[in-house]
Amino acid sequence: MIEVRNVSKKYGDTYAVRNISFDVQDGEIVGFLGRNGAGKTTTMNMITGFIEPTIGQIIVNGIDVDSKPKKVKKLIGYMPEGTPLYTDLTVKEFISYMADLKCIPHKEKKEAVEKAIMETGLDKVRNRLTRNLSRGFKQRVSLAGALVGDPEILILDEPTVGLDPKQVKEIRELIKSFRKEHTVILSSHILTEVSQICEKVIIIDKGEIIAVDTPENLEKSVETKQVYIVTIEDTENKFEDVFKSDEQIKSIEKIKENEDNTYVYQVELKENLSDDKEFRKNFAIKCAENNILNLGINKEEASLEDAFIKIIEDRQELSNDEINEIQYQRELDDLRQAKQEKKERKEFVKEKRQELKEQKKAEKLEKKEKSETDSKEDEDDDKNEDSKGGEE
Amino acid sequence: MLAVIKKELKSYLLSPIGYIFIGLFLLMFSILFYNSIFSSGVAYFEYAFYDASTIMTFLIPVLTMRMFSEERKNGTEQLLLTSPRSLFSVVMGKFLAAMIVVLVTILGTFIHFLILQHFGAPDIRVALCTMLGFFLLCAAYVSFGMFASSITENQIVASVLTIGVFILMWFLPGVSQNFYNLSLMYMFDHFPEGVIALNEVVRFVSFAVLFILLTVIVLQRRKSVK
Repeated sequence: MIEVRNVSKKYGDTYAVRNISFDVQDGEIVGFLGRNGAGKTTTMNMITGFIEPTIGQIIVNGIDVDSKPKKVKKLIGYMPEGTPLYTDLTVKEFISYMADLKCIPHKEKKEAVEKAIMETGLDKVRNRLTRNLSRGFKQRVSLAGALVGDPEILILDEPTVGLDPKQVKEIRELIKSFRKEHTVILSSHILTEVSQICEKVIIIDKGEIIAVDTPENLEKSVETKQVYIVTIEDTENKFEDVFKSDEQIKSIEKIKENEDNTYVYQVELKENLSDDKEFRKNFAIKCAENNILNLGINKEEASLEDAFIKIIEDRQELSNDEINEIQYQRELDDLRQAKQEKKERKEFVKEKRQELKEQKKAEKLEKKEKSETDSKEDEDDDKNEDSKGGEE
Repeated sequence: MLAVIKKELKSYLLSPIGYIFIGLFLLMFSILFYNSIFSSGVAYFEYAFYDASTIMTFLIPVLTMRMFSEERKNGTEQLLLTSPRSLFSVVMGKFLAAMIVVLVTILGTFIHFLILQHFGAPDIRVALCTMLGFFLLCAAYVSFGMFASSITENQIVASVLTIGVFILMWFLPGVSQNFYNLSLMYMFDHFPEGVIALNEVVRFVSFAVLFILLTVIVLQRRKSVK
């Protein structure tokens, strides 16, 4: 389990990552989603211990990354961004070096290297220099380097970037096969990828987490736009005039004019007025009435892509002044809180002291009373003795 | 540490750098040897090492410039620093691998001693003493070269910086006697005379240790600055 607690990373005056917190459960595949420069790589680098957070704490399987980095690093297999490789080594040599660096015992090394090679499908190129490999294979070698020795946690920074569709599919299948055996964190700026592979998506933008949810929920959270793509033959050029006045339609936009004099339009319906069947029927009738040849009507499904863009766009764009203001307010709050805490602590100490004082006083009083009663008793005894003596 | 040494040695010997270093040095050393024997008429193997120390000024950076700057530029630094190995063992691994290449090179010069042996009776103790001194000098050089490589990701900057500092050490004693103690090259002067001066050995070793530790500190620091 990975716990990230209020972590910030500051470069000079700018925050690369600001006050992020999230958990990753064992066996989960989590996707980091964000635009370029959103802070994905920085976050991953901090989890692997490559860089230190300015403030905050990262705990991996109950071990603090900052205080026991070696132990944590043993648990993690990291595939860095841009697939860095030692280009003068062969595939096998590279993976074997990674195994050495990970302190895998000599006896188990050969087996571990072999397993990593087989899992990533590198058998055919095992004796080739990594510099001569194609991009897809390089990516696999890098993945094999992270995978060797079966670390509990795999952190993959943009594992499929720059691959052709077939390779992307293969790598995705591979990552999917890690489910349950490894905890996986991967980053990407491609949504379909994340939605296909991951159980949980963390959307991060400008260094802050703006959504943590399952891909399905994210998709649901966006109001589905009703968009149709229609193809028509419109000899009298009436289409726009006819449908502009339609009460169901929000906007019409010509996308393309085909060579055979047909047009492709994008039609967006008003929200909440959307009965699919009703619209199609209405559309067909109106077309027929106006001599427009309806060649096809297709509904566009809302995608995760839309969700992503919407979530990011909905986020208020803050100016620098506003950010500074927020920062200032936060610092002020922190200070106030600190002051309050100090005050409370002072009061607490005061109270305790008072209590102690009173306790002591009470004790003293008790003692005094006791001694008084004792002395009284003594006196009484004395008196008694005296009187006894007198009687005698 | 062993893993790093093994890999670094492999890199030296799989790329031309190792061969360029060893080959160039031995070639130049042979020329120096030829000069000292035939031009100056001196039959001492050790004297060639005086000039060899200036050759190392230019050759050591060839060996050291890529040590950390290449890793940083290619991003392989991330692989190294996210592995459970300590920074010190990584730095020492790289240092020792370079020193093994240097050692092989120095042992290669021994062939000239054997040539002299064939014609006369040179003193093997003086020869070994010189080679020890030269090895220590190279250790100090390599440690500085490694440090220079760790502070930049540009190999050329690293090598120019290294050569620059070595040249300063070479010429500064000419400016003022005060700089005499700072010059590694002058520290080496007594070894070819067959004298192992303890203070000079200590100076070489402490210089090397200083820059090895500084390299570790630079890499450590980068974690929080980067």
